[in-house]
Amino acid sequence: MKVFFEQYFDFHIMGEHFGEVFEAFLQNLLIFFVAAIIALIWGLVLALFRQAPGKKFIPIRVLTIAYIDVLRAVPLLIIILMISGGVPFLDFLPKDIRIPHWLGKPDPFWYGVAALVFVYGAYMAEVYRAGIEAVPSGQMEAARSLGMSHLQAMRHIIVPQAVTKVPAPMLNELISLLKDTTLVSVIAFGESVLVSREILAEQLNSSALVLTAAFFLVICLPGARLVDYLIKRNQGKMSRGAHIEVA
Amino acid sequence: MFSKTRLVALMAVLLVGLVAVVVAGCGGGGSSSSSETTATEESAEGGGETLTVGSDIPYPPFEQKASGGGYTGFDVELMEAIGKEIGREPEFIDSSFETIFRDVAQGKFEAVMSAATITEEREKVVAFSLPYYLSEQAILVKEGSDIKGLADLKGRVVAAQQGTTGLELGKEKAEASELRPYPEGPDADNALKAGTVEAVIIDAPVAKQQAEELGGIEIVEKVPTDETYGIAVEKGNTELIEQINEGLKKAIADGSYTKVYEKWFKEAPPLEALEKAIEEAESK
Repeated sequence: MKVFFEQYFDFHIMGEHFGEVFEAFLQNLLIFFVAAIIALIWGLVLALFRQAPGKKFIPIRVLTIAYIDVLRAVPLLIIILMISGGVPFLDFLPKDIRIPHWLGKPDPFWYGVAALVFVYGAYMAEVYRAGIEAVPSGQMEAARSLGMSHLQAMRHIIVPQAVTKVPAPMLNELISLLKDTTLVSVIAFGESVLVSREILAEQLNSSALVLTAAFFLVICLPGARLVDYLIKRNQGKMSRGAHIEVA
Repeated sequence: MFSKTRLVALMAVLLVGLVAVVVAGCGGGGSSSSSETTATEESAEGGGETLTVGSDIPYPPFEQKASGGGYTGFDVELMEAIGKEIGREPEFIDSSFETIFRDVAQGKFEAVMSAATITEEREKVVAFSLPYYLSEQAILVKEGSDIKGLADLKGRVVAAQQGTTGLELGKEKAEASELRPYPEGPDADNALKAGTVEAVIIDAPVAKQQAEELGGIEIVEKVPTDETYGIAVEKGNTELIEQINEGLKKAIADGSYTKVYEKWFKEAPPLEALEKAIEEAESK
């Protein structure tokens, strides 16, 4: 038992490396914020493409569905390794895209962000779609009958209502996204798992990994509780009529 | 869109395909592992009592699979030479490096020879032989780079492998603007070829092999470190350690060490420096 505590809860090692691990964790948060903002927009664009009406948009619908299906089926780790291992060699691309150093962040940061946006954009598109499909079809019909175009109806009637239905599942996706930022460690970006593995290799002790896990717990646990709360509140709204009947 | 029955049919086809792949995969894996055991059994035959040696294979050129089954490499052949001197027949057992010292301490095998650096941390758990190899780091760059050595790494983006001496050297002496620890050595070499990093610090024999295999990259400087590789045994097994030390010294004296070294590293061994390191270790 003593060995167990020494291996996982050596507070001396945790204290000694606290600053280092915390700073690395801030890098996880930074990847998360950048990737989340772009993925939320990209996912909405994909969801709207997928809902594009009529015959002339069939190619766009097919391409979007193919993109969403493929990106949701392939492991994120593979996407990260494929981007990092291959994109720098594509010499038909300009150097700033092949080896990006935007805003003073190194290229593994941007490869990681790109992979997370590609994959989570697909997941989030499905969340938006569920939201859009949850809006009664009468809403679209009513909007169109008032002379709005499909795009106008989406913009003013459907999306504003759909957005109120997505927070809980979207928050789940965001929690997953935050945890998956640790995968960017495989392409040598100095985030918290990379730093704690380095400590593991030096000290033959897992306490730094436990410390990193604690940082994630502090952020993700309240997030998960918030999801539960939102789901409950939504159910309350839905079943309000039923309550009156019972009373 | 799909009707329900067509969807079910599609799923059924996918499932059957998946099962076929899994079954075929398992069959292949099973047969290869059985051939592995016969190979080690064969190598265990011959004169002398068997000496079981744990090693994390592959780590070329130190240890790797032999084309005809069994294992080969610098460590393997040197151990065979030492075994000949002391009348023991080494049998290598593939093992994971993370747990290798714990395993030898618990008697899973008698010795560890796995390009393992002698460190204070490890000496707390196991006993080490005299050093048999001097660790040397190499600076790898793209051909035609303006980096000529360790001193030119200042302000550059440098890569190394996680948990290695190369990374330590980079931290202490390179003054790089960014030091990237890749999980595996070849990832760092790929980043070098891709141009995302400007230099890689890695074990010299590994660097040499990568430069030959990949092309377009070259070694510009070799940096000696204080680190040496040793053979580890269970703490307190002084008899075996003394035997191994004696065998190692004999192998160095009669030239079989040099023969194995030249075969795997394609250069003459630094015998003087090695003997000095052995003297230092003995005086401790």
